[in-house]
Amino acid sequence: MVVNQFGQFGALLKREIIENRNLFISTPALLAVIFFVFSIWVVSFVPSAEIATGIEYLSVLFDGLSPLQMAPVFLLPAVPFIVTLYICAIIYLINSLYQDRKDASVLFWQSMPVSNLQTVISKVVTICAIAPVFYVAILFVLHLLAVAMLVALGLTYNVQVAGLGYMFMASVLSLLLIYLSAITTALWSLPSIGWLLLFSAFARKTPILWAVGVFILLGFLEDFVFGSQYLANWVESRSNPQQYMFFEFTDVVERLFSYDMLFGVVVGSILISGAISMRRFID
Amino acid sequence: MTNIVEARFLVKRYGDFTALDGVDLSIPSGSISGLIGPNGAGKTTTMKALVGLCDVEGELEVAGRDPRSARHKLMEEVCFIADVGILPKWLKVAQVLEFVSAVHPKFVRERAEKFLSTTEIPSNKRIKDLSKGMVTQLHLAIVMAIDVRLLVLDEPTLGLDIIYRKEFYDRLLNEYYDGDRTIIISTHQVEEIETLLSHLVFIKNGRITLDSSMNNLADRYFEVVVDPDKLTAADTLEPIYTRELLGRKTYMFEDVPLQHLEPLGEVLTPTVADLFVAKMKEDHHGG
Repeated sequence: MVVNQFGQFGALLKREIIENRNLFISTPALLAVIFFVFSIWVVSFVPSAEIATGIEYLSVLFDGLSPLQMAPVFLLPAVPFIVTLYICAIIYLINSLYQDRKDASVLFWQSMPVSNLQTVISKVVTICAIAPVFYVAILFVLHLLAVAMLVALGLTYNVQVAGLGYMFMASVLSLLLIYLSAITTALWSLPSIGWLLLFSAFARKTPILWAVGVFILLGFLEDFVFGSQYLANWVESRSNPQQYMFFEFTDVVERLFSYDMLFGVVVGSILISGAISMRRFID
Repeated sequence: MTNIVEARFLVKRYGDFTALDGVDLSIPSGSISGLIGPNGAGKTTTMKALVGLCDVEGELEVAGRDPRSARHKLMEEVCFIADVGILPKWLKVAQVLEFVSAVHPKFVRERAEKFLSTTEIPSNKRIKDLSKGMVTQLHLAIVMAIDVRLLVLDEPTLGLDIIYRKEFYDRLLNEYYDGDRTIIISTHQVEEIETLLSHLVFIKNGRITLDSSMNNLADRYFEVVVDPDKLTAADTLEPIYTRELLGRKTYMFEDVPLQHLEPLGEVLTPTVADLFVAKMKEDHHGG
């Protein structure tokens, strides 16, 4: 039996997806169904004159725009999905090195020839790059339904909202922006990811209380001992979505390799290393 | 014969509690070794230390590696079944096989599937829907399909009924053990495995109280049904354990030459269960 490193890592990623299918697939799928049904319900209540006005407004808005310029409009329905992804990411990370210790299955995972480095990195890659794929794929289905609805309404009221191909392209570009934002958000938030993983690997009970509690305690101690609020200020200074999200394809390389981004990656990597060494012995 | 496990003065403390209190252990390659001790004696801690799941002080080498620094490499040579159902409950049977075949270079999936075809385990069920006996069968099917040098079984049949327990050991012995592999089994139910063993280790309060091949036991331990008029003479030979059997005093001796014992009464070979009881109560009775 030949086992290669890629196959091994792929199996670890697959494990994460199967274990967390509710967070990564069921939750956004349910949200999409709710979103779609709610939209249809709302539209069914709006008087047809207002629908016609709305369609007219969109056609004027889109008039003369390239798909790239239309893309930000397609970002709007993504907002609840992005918020949900953040919440699911926190739930995932805080449980990822805790749940298998709680149910003793860690003894099975640790009885396989897989290093703790591979295990922890597979969890980081899952939340940074794999989970967003499912959210984006489900948003794509939602976009296709929305485009179909716009075309149908356009035909009903005899208005051409925009070219079908243009809207399709705008959807794809907006989803690329969302995926890019998900990855940059994850990299920007690597200190938070590392912090959650550290306490997920450490706590015997309620890892979320540990993670939040120790952070608050550190902030309090800093204030008490040094009279400064550097920690709290640092977190606050990194909490503006403009810093980690992409609303258009500009300055991608500059922002990815900015000093602030790299500093966060270094801090996050140190915390993740702590989680790996904490994972070494499970008792 | 070389040893696949060499441990010198292993110490493990949990706060004030000392789980391992200077454990020395030598397990010969190719043996079926039993690590026998009462609950809380340190069996699980020792077994976890052998597979790198527990940090211990002391010298430790398993299959030529230190489990504390090279666990994932060691696990290519060693398989481990723990005392609790540890297979992830949310995985389906087929998904477990798929995972192991992707990560373990020595796993032969066809062999596991052949084993499973002789059981009633459905491959499309999640593990949480299987009975405890089935989960153990599945784990055994996986482990038996991995070609490793050492198999570490920590109370593998705990909580199973007698049919599953018997089948577990029968299959292990008939279908897996080939004389080259080493199997270490920990249990507190000594009578269940005593006929399988070629090497015996007793552990009590975190210390090894016996580490011997089964062949040597018959030369080292004797039980004597002492004649009533020889009790004083028997006491001077420092029995490790005494008990009353049908109204007569029975003494157990360790490393006392047979010619010194024969004049005292009828000499018997103790069973492993008798020896276990004697060694566990050694501190309270003579010795």
